[in-house]
Amino acid sequence: MNQDIEFIVGSERRLLDLIGRDEIIPLLAAAVRSGASGASVLDDAGEALWQDGADEIDGSSPQRRSLRLEGEPVGTLQVSGEPGLVRPITDLLHEVIQILMTNNLKRMLTTEIHTQVVRQSYEELLESHQSLERSERKYRELSQSLDAQVKERTRELQLVHAKLLQQEKMAAVGQLAAGVAHELNTPLGFIASNLHSLGKYVSRLTALLLRIREQAGGKSGALCALDLEEQWRVQKLDFILEDIPELIEQSCDGAKRVQRIVEDLKGFSNLDGATLAELELEQELERALRVLSGKLPEGTRIHRNFEPLALVNANPALISQLFFNLISNAIWVSDKPLVLSFRNWTDAAGLHLSIADNGPGIDPAILPRIFDPFFTTRDVGEGTGMGLTVAYDIVHSLGGILSAYNVQSGGACFELCLPPQE
Amino acid sequence: MIEYDEFEKRLVLKVVYYGPALSGKTTNLLRLHELLAREQRGDLMVLDTKDDRTIYFDLLPFFLQAPSGLKIKLKAYTVPGQVRHDATRKAVLQRADGVVFVADSQLKETTNNVESFQNLERNLKMVGLSFDSTPLVIQYNKRDLPGIVSTEDIDRVWGETGIPVHRACALDGGGVLETFRALLGRLYLGVDEKISLESDHGLSREDFIAQILRPASGDSGEIDLREGGLE
Repeated sequence: MNQDIEFIVGSERRLLDLIGRDEIIPLLAAAVRSGASGASVLDDAGEALWQDGADEIDGSSPQRRSLRLEGEPVGTLQVSGEPGLVRPITDLLHEVIQILMTNNLKRMLTTEIHTQVVRQSYEELLESHQSLERSERKYRELSQSLDAQVKERTRELQLVHAKLLQQEKMAAVGQLAAGVAHELNTPLGFIASNLHSLGKYVSRLTALLLRIREQAGGKSGALCALDLEEQWRVQKLDFILEDIPELIEQSCDGAKRVQRIVEDLKGFSNLDGATLAELELEQELERALRVLSGKLPEGTRIHRNFEPLALVNANPALISQLFFNLISNAIWVSDKPLVLSFRNWTDAAGLHLSIADNGPGIDPAILPRIFDPFFTTRDVGEGTGMGLTVAYDIVHSLGGILSAYNVQSGGACFELCLPPQE
Repeated sequence: MIEYDEFEKRLVLKVVYYGPALSGKTTNLLRLHELLAREQRGDLMVLDTKDDRTIYFDLLPFFLQAPSGLKIKLKAYTVPGQVRHDATRKAVLQRADGVVFVADSQLKETTNNVESFQNLERNLKMVGLSFDSTPLVIQYNKRDLPGIVSTEDIDRVWGETGIPVHRACALDGGGVLETFRALLGRLYLGVDEKISLESDHGLSREDFIAQILRPASGDSGEIDLREGGLE
């Protein structure tokens, strides 16, 4: 009966939908066993649906009761037999069939709605499952492409960053070249001037020597001596012999200065290389200072408060650039005769080296940003905004920390701390 | 979704009592069952309840016949109001020809009323019925309780929607017939438009309403069948 369930809840039912043969036949048979000659159920058109026994044996009209579904007549119960006997049987049977119908209807309605609800819930579940799958797929695709996009952007940023760092290095090299040119010019100038003087001295000596050879060719010794004295005076040999050693010594000094500058410059070469060396930080600081000496303003004073520290294993070029950038910064901000104070010390955190100036200090408002790339207080075109960033990166690459703060006496202090090395 | 069998001369209509849990939907059917004549109605069928809360639905059928011989059966259902039985509500709401929304007048139930009404709008759409073309009547039940929403507020909220609102106290029967009458009036208009009850079957709106609302015998005088609200 429930195999073909109509899914519109409460759709109209007929008697055949509600009662099964297996249910009704035993009831009709029981009526016959109880004395009725026949019992049957007719549909609303009067056609017999189920029957037991025979109708109308003795001619008396059978007992009839209307079968109602939801209050509506849907069929008839008909029981034949002796009226006095079958009336109570008919009443009883009618009541039983009505209850059977009502209960069957309730069961069907309940089953229907249950099935309907289950099916609907299942469909909704399927649908929500599908939509979840769809959105999951979408998000997965999105996340995959996001990942790729992020990687792509990161790579672009890394390229740009690397390019900027390179530009900063080139800018530093440019500054360096200008400073070095100035430094080299002075010694080269007096070396050239000295050589010029020496050239003139040599020509005078040559003139005297020629005269001596002439005289030695024929004249008397007395005459010769007289003439030689005259020539010695004419050629100012006393002065020349006095000046020559000084010129040579001066030129040698100049050459040494050139040599030292070239030596310092070597420290800046191989910026990209991975060459590591055991370094004394203070010496590298001095080296940077020497390279920058042409840029130091007149009257600059430098205080050093150094104690012997452990060596640092690092790329010398990077350390040179670190100090070059920090000192350049101090030079740039100074607004009065520059005083630089260097100090180093060791504690549990590692090696410390501080570079303090007597400039205006750092505005606390910008302090958190000074190491940011492109952050600069200089006018457009004057600074790359990368100098301190590079310095920070260098210290960071050594596992250390570069910090900046203002000192009580005024001025800024940059302090680098490198972890102790084994 | 009017179920009309021209050959069998039979018409089946379905109205649904909708609303939040415990607002009095089943009580409305119980009162209709008591107040209306036995000849016009069937028995009230209550499908399984749990602690007197409807979990499937209740069903009360009504019968009438048009002069043309057309047999009309009108089945009034209730839905379970509890939120968790939404799938059942949807199933019962299928092919409804009219809806009575039974709201709980208590102020503390305002949110539940609103949510249930939104649920009705959503479910009508989901079972393929148009909110605008489905006859709808609203009943504010439990007017006898303290702490209820005022008549002015009800009028202000519903006045401009044009949806008829009735106030009721279903427990003692007040307003139940008036609500049902208002729905029957609206329902008739829709049916008449489709199968010409008046011109083809000789059934006027007044007859349609009067036949269904024929009072139970013996106490017909006690039932107020006048048009209008509870006042």
